[in-house]
Amino acid sequence: MVNWPPYWNPKNETLPKEQLRALQLAKLQRCVARAWQTSPFHRRMYEAAGVRPESIQTLDDIRRLPFMTREDWMDNQADKPLFGDLVTRPRNEAIRYHLTSGTSGRQPLRVLDSRKDWSWIGEQWCYGFWGFGVRPTDTVFFAFSYGSFIGFWGAHYCAEKIGCLVLPSGNMTTEGRVKQLVEMEATVVCATPTYALRMAQVAEHMGIDVKRDGKVRRVIVSGEPAGSIPATKRLIEEMWGAKCGDTAGMTEIGTIMIFECDKQPGGTHIIEDHFIEEVLDPETGEPCDYGQRGERVVTSFGRGFIPLIRYRTKDLVMKVPHTHCSCGRTGDLYEGGILGRVDDMKLIRGTNVYPRAVEAILREHPEIEEFQIVLTRVDNIRDEITVQIELRPGFPDADWAGLQSRVGTDLADNHEGLRFNVERAAEGQLPRFELKAKRLQDLRNQ
Amino acid sequence: MPESNQRDLLGHPMTADERELLDLYRRLQALSARDDLPPCALMNARQAMVMLWNACTDLDLIFEEPERE
Repeated sequence: MVNWPPYWNPKNETLPKEQLRALQLAKLQRCVARAWQTSPFHRRMYEAAGVRPESIQTLDDIRRLPFMTREDWMDNQADKPLFGDLVTRPRNEAIRYHLTSGTSGRQPLRVLDSRKDWSWIGEQWCYGFWGFGVRPTDTVFFAFSYGSFIGFWGAHYCAEKIGCLVLPSGNMTTEGRVKQLVEMEATVVCATPTYALRMAQVAEHMGIDVKRDGKVRRVIVSGEPAGSIPATKRLIEEMWGAKCGDTAGMTEIGTIMIFECDKQPGGTHIIEDHFIEEVLDPETGEPCDYGQRGERVVTSFGRGFIPLIRYRTKDLVMKVPHTHCSCGRTGDLYEGGILGRVDDMKLIRGTNVYPRAVEAILREHPEIEEFQIVLTRVDNIRDEITVQIELRPGFPDADWAGLQSRVGTDLADNHEGLRFNVERAAEGQLPRFELKAKRLQDLRNQ
Repeated sequence: MPESNQRDLLGHPMTADERELLDLYRRLQALSARDDLPPCALMNARQAMVMLWNACTDLDLIFEEPERE
């Protein structure tokens, strides 16, 4: 029996903060110098801002660098198809191609990775998997479709690198996945939070109790903020009889930059030796203190094909010191993981509504199997918010009125008294999701 | 043999294990840049090289793009 350390990289994961900052500065200087030399996109951007690589003398000098946005990237690709001139190498030196999901009608981003980049992508997942207790003896089931969306691709190679037995479920049905992960005695399941719940629900419908019949001890989720919503996480843990750990990443960096450790501190550690994560006021661009909500702005040290320096993510986060967790890592945490999107707040009759907050309330009611939030405008003036609820099979009809009232009250109490319409949907009526769930329909401008 | 006075990115002396990892990476990097090896040797050397790149980067021994991978 090997006595493994709890850290994937004990040297850097416990590095004293001042040394971590020195390491970040050394990497940032080289990253900026390389972007200046090899990416015409970055060179133009820096020249326009009046900064040069030698302008970066301290870590605070990162603020002299201009932001990079998704819109900049999309425009660059549109101007110089297919990949723009932000890429640092010719496409024939890449071994991987991926796309963002292209939601909201936007043009998807096209990304390329070299052999080294692709290997680094898996490496970042190793920090997360190992930190959440995955070991070579584990059998890891990936509920993931293996398409052009980056999803769990890096996690797959991470699990192979660690030495786990990997079960790639590809295009299997949900029923087929449930059968296989039970039959193969999977000990780790990777899925979106939504789909982790869905698999457990389908198992119930099949007469399989994954808690009793399976061997799963860890559920690793990614792709949606729900992985750090306490009620959602609790529900996943109850249904699977396993610890649920959150991770978050993005196609633009190709991998994860935060993960929840085995201590489950209610937040996710930042992999600070491979990323600089700034939290800024989205309006002013000024840095937020610990405990203040702001937009995360990421600088990645690993992807060589496409430099990502001060990239505005629009993710809403709240950074807290590493001391909020007892695991010994010196990487700070995002309390509550990704809290949502800077731009996903909806204004309903003067009240701010965040889809994540609505989900957190609905997940407190285990009778609810699936839901949708629908925004409409009545008489061209009055906004209405309706929550459509699909109940778990076997829920007694006679109990609906009571549940409807309780849910409506809970939602209103948490939204300055805002009235929510709560409607019951028929069984199987609401959409189910394998990747990122879309549970909000804004029909107000239609 | 790797030099015993090598230092990592933070200026710490490298341990014997770190020096050995870095030496292996440099040797694989040199193999990866050759064009006279059979494909089975070259591509596997490149694959091994990027794995060692990860170990050396994680341990702060290097911060560079290998370029010929």
